[in-house]
Amino acid sequence: MSVTNLLENWSQFRHFHPVDDKPHDPYKWAMSIDLDTCTGCNACSVACFAENNIPVVGKDKFEHGQQMHWMRIERYWDEDVSNPGGRDFPDQGAQFLPMMCQQCEAAPCETVCPVAATNHTPDGLNSQIYNRCIGSRYCSANCPFKVRYFNWYDYPTDDSVWPAEMNQQLNPDVSVRSKGVMEKCTFCVQRISAAKITAKNEGRLVHDGEIQTACQQACPTNAITFGNLVDTEARVHKQWEAQRVEIDKDKQEKDEEKGGTDLRGYRILEELRAYPSVMYLERVRESAV
Amino acid sequence: MIESGFDRRDFLKVLGWGGAAVALTGCGNTSVQDGKETVVSYVEASDYMIPGVSVYFNSTCAQCDAGCNINGRVREGRVLKLEGNPASGINHGKLCGLGQAGVQHHYNPDRVREPLLRKGSGGETITWEAALKLINEKLTGVSGEQIAFLSGSVSGHLKVLLGNYLDSLSSKNHFVYEAISPAVQRAANKKSYGVEMPKFSLNKAKVILSFGADFLGSWVSPVHFSQQYAQFRKGVEGKRGVLVQVESKMTLTGANADRWLAVRPGTEGVLALGLVNALGAAGTALSADVAAAVKDFDKARVTKDTGVSGEHIDKLVALLKERTPSLVLSGNGAEGFAHGSQNAAAINLLNHVLGNIGKTVEAPAVVPFPQMLSANGNSASLKKLNDGMAAGTYKVLFSYAANPVFTAPASMKLADNLKKVGFKVAFAHYLDETALEADLVLPLDSALEDWGTHIAEYQPEGGQISIQQPLMEKLHANTRGAGDILLALIKQRRAEEYKAFDDYYAYLRTAVLQNKAALGGGATEDDTFWDETLTSGIVKVAGTTAALSGSTAITAPVSMASDAQYPLFLIPGITANLRDGRHANQPWLQESPDPLTTIVWDSWVEIHPKKAAELGIVEGDIVEVTSKSGSVKAQAYLFPGIHPDAISIPLGRGQSWGRYAKGYGVNPFQILDAVFDKETGELAINDTRVQIKKTSKRVIVIKDEGSGGGKQFGRKIAVSVSSNEVDLSKEV
Amino acid sequence: MLGCLLTWVDCLLGELLTMYRFIRFSTLLVGLFVAISGFAADSTVATLTTPDDLGPEVKQPIEFPHDRHAGNHNPSDPTKGGMEIDCQYCHTYARRSAVAGIPPLQKCIGCHNSIESVKDKPRIKQLFEAWEAKKPIEWKKVHDLPDFVRFNHERHIKRFVEQQKRPTQEACGYCHGDVKNMTVARRQKSLSMGWCASCHEKAHAVTAPGGTPIGKQAYWYTFQKPAAAAGATPDAIKAQGPNDCWQCHK
Repeated sequence: MSVTNLLENWSQFRHFHPVDDKPHDPYKWAMSIDLDTCTGCNACSVACFAENNIPVVGKDKFEHGQQMHWMRIERYWDEDVSNPGGRDFPDQGAQFLPMMCQQCEAAPCETVCPVAATNHTPDGLNSQIYNRCIGSRYCSANCPFKVRYFNWYDYPTDDSVWPAEMNQQLNPDVSVRSKGVMEKCTFCVQRISAAKITAKNEGRLVHDGEIQTACQQACPTNAITFGNLVDTEARVHKQWEAQRVEIDKDKQEKDEEKGGTDLRGYRILEELRAYPSVMYLERVRESAV
Repeated sequence: MIESGFDRRDFLKVLGWGGAAVALTGCGNTSVQDGKETVVSYVEASDYMIPGVSVYFNSTCAQCDAGCNINGRVREGRVLKLEGNPASGINHGKLCGLGQAGVQHHYNPDRVREPLLRKGSGGETITWEAALKLINEKLTGVSGEQIAFLSGSVSGHLKVLLGNYLDSLSSKNHFVYEAISPAVQRAANKKSYGVEMPKFSLNKAKVILSFGADFLGSWVSPVHFSQQYAQFRKGVEGKRGVLVQVESKMTLTGANADRWLAVRPGTEGVLALGLVNALGAAGTALSADVAAAVKDFDKARVTKDTGVSGEHIDKLVALLKERTPSLVLSGNGAEGFAHGSQNAAAINLLNHVLGNIGKTVEAPAVVPFPQMLSANGNSASLKKLNDGMAAGTYKVLFSYAANPVFTAPASMKLADNLKKVGFKVAFAHYLDETALEADLVLPLDSALEDWGTHIAEYQPEGGQISIQQPLMEKLHANTRGAGDILLALIKQRRAEEYKAFDDYYAYLRTAVLQNKAALGGGATEDDTFWDETLTSGIVKVAGTTAALSGSTAITAPVSMASDAQYPLFLIPGITANLRDGRHANQPWLQESPDPLTTIVWDSWVEIHPKKAAELGIVEGDIVEVTSKSGSVKAQAYLFPGIHPDAISIPLGRGQSWGRYAKGYGVNPFQILDAVFDKETGELAINDTRVQIKKTSKRVIVIKDEGSGGGKQFGRKIAVSVSSNEVDLSKEV
Repeated sequence: MLGCLLTWVDCLLGELLTMYRFIRFSTLLVGLFVAISGFAADSTVATLTTPDDLGPEVKQPIEFPHDRHAGNHNPSDPTKGGMEIDCQYCHTYARRSAVAGIPPLQKCIGCHNSIESVKDKPRIKQLFEAWEAKKPIEWKKVHDLPDFVRFNHERHIKRFVEQQKRPTQEACGYCHGDVKNMTVARRQKSLSMGWCASCHEKAHAVTAPGGTPIGKQAYWYTFQKPAAAAGATPDAIKAQGPNDCWQCHK
């Protein structure tokens, strides 16, 4: 990709999401996460460490907010717990939310990258090209979900991160990132690539269930579903459809209906018009007890 | 029967992947290293060994006692990642964070690599031959009663071999110790249901009422229960299951409850009996004995004792009556008291009264090989060993998979008593606190390098024997499997009987094949059957089913006196990732935030915000927690999910070894009082009273809570909805 | 320059990556120039380009004669010419894996065990010594890609050799050059991204059987949608390779 190309076609690098003549076909990767079955156990997060060569930064760097976990579990208490006049105890439990890159269709991170190191793939992923990244961190600043993580240190040469033997666990299908590079959840793109190659070799499309992301595979309660939103047979497609969540809307029709619906699907910060590819299903709490 | 020259790791043989580091002498502007990097090919390669293509082997997870079946991804001779084995009746292809971290146990840079012999305050490496010879010498002239073997829970052929070894030494002193175990529960279940561990069908229950059983986090078989929990939430007949958790310190399970009831510490049994009483009043049939036993537990008294409001009791009773079957569980939260057995019996009584026996409390499958069944750890056995050591009974002590110097309360003076044992041999992965006290340390293979068979204590779906096999070549030339060591030791005593077995692999293979017919391999060729067994990693056996029986007799739990000097209960936190701390040196577990507090890399003292305000404590204050037995200092964390009469410090941190464990946090085991359950003799881990004092220091709590402190400020981020506003039946 | 950086242990096939050495210098174009000049000043480092634009001369532990194995027959003197062995006879992994690998020693011995005439040659003796000792031979890597690149041999063999029935030597030769006339191989192509793209950008029609129907798939800039051959139905248009950064970059 020559410099001339880069300069002449700047706008094409800056923004890309499926419009009109460029629909998603045959693939659009998407996810749904059921917050009613998610228990907050962290298995997904550890699985992500194992699959994606994520460095363990240690106590001091964690204190400075330099943690690298692509998949984090956010924990929320109900608003009135231990507030003045509120409830003494969180007697409806805590609320957990697995948060990782939402693979936005109109990703705010993509438009601000000065070198087009993060951009959209035709199958609807927000790609991050490490060797192109110069570490401006604009993308992270512009990410509403704060799911981009910056390598402040050269972890591959830091003896406390992958000392001898420990480094043998590194996954050869995933780059080990070095200082000055931004990184984030990729929807396990290495697994997607492998499945696409197998499918191509066999002259077919990837079928539902063939790809499991690491977090999905580990999840003890099957709270995470991943798949091809274009494939009408895919579970993720059926879930989005049943919940009446449409990927290209910033306001879902069902939310406009009088009295609301009895459906649980929603996307986080949808009003920012980033069009995330992850749908969450609301946590449910029993009304009778 | 044993082919001579059979290479035990033949199927894995990867020659030529020598570990020589490739040092690069400079830096290019790309990482292209034409003519610099070395490409080493296999000398011999099986068909399945293709560079760049992963191979998967089934084995068994050894990170906790649940015994999940795992599937390891191996590439170029290295194990990279562990997943669950989809064919497993325990974990069905899923694996928790602790299990995932098994690779960090295997590749851990702090593993012991050579046999070590104590020399003064230090140690020196010796050869295996010398080590084994030394053990033999030390055992000479020592009677069986003077020899003790301390281990964690063991099952399968390792247990058989261990038993036979002790038998050859005429010793009956096998102490099976687990610092955190459902031992009180086992005893109570035996009385209530006739079996120690019935099968709990969470997925068939419409209501689960759990008294401190953290079945989603650390209780018995969490990955299995998590899957059942998911089905329970989706609902039986379209009706979503309701979880009510009663405990004084919120566990992961409590955090997922529809209703979390904060109960005054130790009064779980009172609440259970109060519920029985209220159910009787609401029309549930009670036997005369039961009715008499609970008649004093009226609502007013129960509310006063437990702090649970009458309104909640009424709602709960109505729910339990309306939605059946239900399931009532008793766990560590309710059992860790001097009257823990009584609490557990009272809680189990609810299952009888609600008619859950046979519906959600079911008869378990029993693997029909009693010799191989799991020897389940408890803490009463450690007390027995400790008493024996204090009396100078033991001359030789072996230890394996237990670290009592770390996990025993200081009040037991275990480290001092150990010094009275003449010769201590530790089978060890790390130089942990117990190994450091030993005279001889024998380095163990990691769980991913070793052979084994396991029968999990909790057998959810029929009986199954799980196979453990190496996922890769040994990392260190001089480590050995526990089975191999025991075999070498037993050969010193019974050479003739064991001479046919070159190693533990040969022993295991012969043992499995000998029983081929019973294991379902009737007409299959030996080699084929063995290969199939290793391939699947699981042998399903036609289990017998134990019958449920049991009584509803209970002893009313005593009410506990308050203590003016030590006004607070210390309830040690049992976290899913760290448990008793044996895996604390696995960095993923240290950096994985505690789900409830989101704290990493450190210990903390959970204290209710109201109590904290009373004591003038704010987040990050270093507080000194003092019991009769000692004190620790840690950062305070204001946590709404704890009863104001209690504080909690998580277990598993505060080690004195390991680059990822040493210096991080404190060890609350140390300050536990030596209080024991009256019926079982188990250490009552929740029955320590403490006082808390603010020091002049304050730190920033290192946590992952986000800038909002766990609040959403009205943004629609993590959304919750009431069950009457949704219809789950339409969902995919 | 930056001191000695250790790659992680036995990155033997080099497909795992230590891209951090690259990234330091990719800091915009200015950074790149600085890097190159600094790089060139250090004579101990393998150079990326050589005067004849080929890869560096690589000294292998055994000077393997590719020409003798894969070269053409010499009808006038059969003892001098090649044996026209198909590349895939030895490099069997290429059609089954992302990496081509080096054949196991076993493979060499399999033939050479019964070729008495050359058994006393020094290189063959060396081969048998290694075999007896069960000691692998430490070959030097000739074609190395940056570790952040995901290149798949299998796909290329499948497309060119299996689907389009092109001769193996031609297909392999697109990237590896005329190996049949070499002794130890030397890198013939630059293997840079631009060089890869020079093929992939070609909008040639692909109507060979197999492959994935690409449907209405969007194509990323410069990797153009393949044109249909005259008369082909839209369904006959097959995807022809990478169409976004993530297909080659990992």
